[in-house]
Amino acid sequence: MSKRTDLISQITTNIAAHTSFAINEELPFLSGGIPLYEKNMRTIYVDEQQIAVDELYDTLDGQAVNQTTTTINAYLSVDAKEQLTDIDTVVANLLVARNGIANTIESTSDYETDIVNDVITYTFEYNFITV
Amino acid sequence: MAVINVTDGSSCILAIGNTAVNGAIGGVNALEVPFINDITVNASTGVTRYKVLDSSSEKAFTTPSTNQITLNCLVDEDVFFGNAGGTGNKVVNDGLFGASNDKTLVYFEVGFEGSASGDKTISGQGYISGLAPTVSMEQAVWQTPVTIEVDGNLTAGSI
Repeated sequence: MSKRTDLISQITTNIAAHTSFAINEELPFLSGGIPLYEKNMRTIYVDEQQIAVDELYDTLDGQAVNQTTTTINAYLSVDAKEQLTDIDTVVANLLVARNGIANTIESTSDYETDIVNDVITYTFEYNFITV
Repeated sequence: MAVINVTDGSSCILAIGNTAVNGAIGGVNALEVPFINDITVNASTGVTRYKVLDSSSEKAFTTPSTNQITLNCLVDEDVFFGNAGGTGNKVVNDGLFGASNDKTLVYFEVGFEGSASGDKTISGQGYISGLAPTVSMEQAVWQTPVTIEVDGNLTAGSI
C-alpha cells in the first residue's frame, strides 16, 4: 500500500471518535474553482504523495542504497467564526497520525493555518523517510 | 601515466579466500566483498631515528611494516554470515564473521583497476579483525568496519 493509503487509514482511525469530522479519499481537486476541502468543510482531504529518492550509501561497486522521502499534504477547513470545541484534539490527532505509519526510519508532521474570509484552513505536511 | 579512477563501479575489488587461488580476483571460488564504502591499504613502515655527532640532522632507517587492509562496508547477509551452500572456499562458507571468529588465515587480493588482464593489484595473507557491525534508526542499514591484519608482506602484482 502507498503511504497515502496508510495515512488515510490512520487518520480515519484517529478521528473516529470525532463525529463532526470526516475524511474523504478523493484528492483535493478544484470543483467549480473551489478546493473540495473548502467546499466540504470539516472533511479532511489527503493530497497525492510526492516522492524524492536520494542516495543514502554510496559504494565502490556502484550498488548504492537509496532512501525515499514521501511528502503528503492534507487539508481541513472549518468555520473560523465558530470553532468546534474539539478542534484542538482533532488537529493533535492528525499530527500524530504519522506514528501509525510503519517501516519508516523517520517521520515528521506539522501544520500551518490560513484564514480567508470566515474559513480557516489547516494545511498539514507529513514526511516519511524509508530505506 | 594516469590516475586510477574507480567511478565506473567495477574497478575497486577485494577478493578473499582460504587459499591464494580462492583469494584471487576473478577466481571461480573467490569471495568478492560487495557494498564497500571505502578501503585503505596500509603499508606503513616503522621508522627509527638516531643522531650522530657529525651531522646536524637526524639519520633514519625504516623498520618492518605494519600492513593492514581496512574498509567499511554494508553488511551483506551471505558475505557476513556465510553461505553454507557455497563453494570450496571456506571463507565463502563461513562468511567474514565466521572467518574472524575462527581466526582463519585468509588470502586476499585488492584490485585497484578492475579485473581485466594487466590490472594492478596488491595481495597478501592475514586475519580478519575489527568487525563492529552497527545500525541505528539514523543509519538504518547494517554497516561494519573490516580489518585484514596482514601476516607478512604485501605483494604488488597484476591480474
